[in-house]
Amino acid sequence: MAPPDERRNNGPGEGQATASPWAAILAGVSMLGPAAQASVPGLYAWALTVAPAAWSRGAPWVAKATAIMGLLSLGASVVAERRWGAARYVGVWGLVLTSSVTWVLAPAALSPLHLDVARGVAGMLGWALFAFACAAPALRRSAYPDARLGDEGPLRPRTELRRGDGLYILGGALVALALQTVGWRVNVPERALLVRVVSLAAGLAIVAAVTSVALARHGRPTQRPSEREARRLRRDKLRAGLPWLLGLAMLGILGLLAILRES
Amino acid sequence: MQLIDALAIVLIVAAAAAFVLGDAALARAEDLKALYWLIIGAVSVRAGVQIARPRAKA
Repeated sequence: MAPPDERRNNGPGEGQATASPWAAILAGVSMLGPAAQASVPGLYAWALTVAPAAWSRGAPWVAKATAIMGLLSLGASVVAERRWGAARYVGVWGLVLTSSVTWVLAPAALSPLHLDVARGVAGMLGWALFAFACAAPALRRSAYPDARLGDEGPLRPRTELRRGDGLYILGGALVALALQTVGWRVNVPERALLVRVVSLAAGLAIVAAVTSVALARHGRPTQRPSEREARRLRRDKLRAGLPWLLGLAMLGILGLLAILRES
Repeated sequence: MQLIDALAIVLIVAAAAAFVLGDAALARAEDLKALYWLIIGAVSVRAGVQIARPRAKA
């Protein structure tokens, strides 16, 4: 372990200089009250799912009025929360109830023929974020904004991480995202749901596998193994993967046989 | 990077391609093809993980 003198910070501004932009964004959000924090995803969800329904062709004027009331209740909760603690509930329930009334009054706007897939997914995410922001405890401002964990500066890691882990994880995440682009034009709802579940499970499997491969690089000894040891390691790995490789070969032969039979 | 690690990565890339093909077949309602490709994807993932990290769970 390094002596305390070596671990000490060089100056008082060092901790602030190395603060990430995410920390600054989080600090900015924590300055807002709970209702204001929830109002951001609420406004997003309203703009994507309620406003288009209220201002769709054939929607009655009452639908427009309830949509505007939802927006007003959201704004009122932000303004009133400093004086009245329960104002948060006005924003939550006001937006949810008025949005429900709007959708009931203009049901055709939510049918698959009128609702764009990308907008539908984005709206669903918006409502999920709004629900999370309403249910979860709000971010609170730190009582000691300038305080640091200790006088001895940041802790040092016990070991150095190998470079390239980020590339592995990025590759896995890109594959998982690419899987989410498949099968958005399925008309049957049950099959569309099955495709989404399968693509989600496949994406998770790929991310888990990529993480395992990246972690395998960390398990190796720092010293270069002898030739005999390296050979034994290779043999162990091949032996572990051999049954699965044989299964893969059998599946390949089966596929070829099916193609030959069809032709 | 050793050759055996490259083989593990190739298997996982192949698994990703198989999953995409399986998902697309499932969307086209070709269930047998979808099942075939999804099984190939699952076996490839398992093979890749076992080769990279013996006795690991994917």
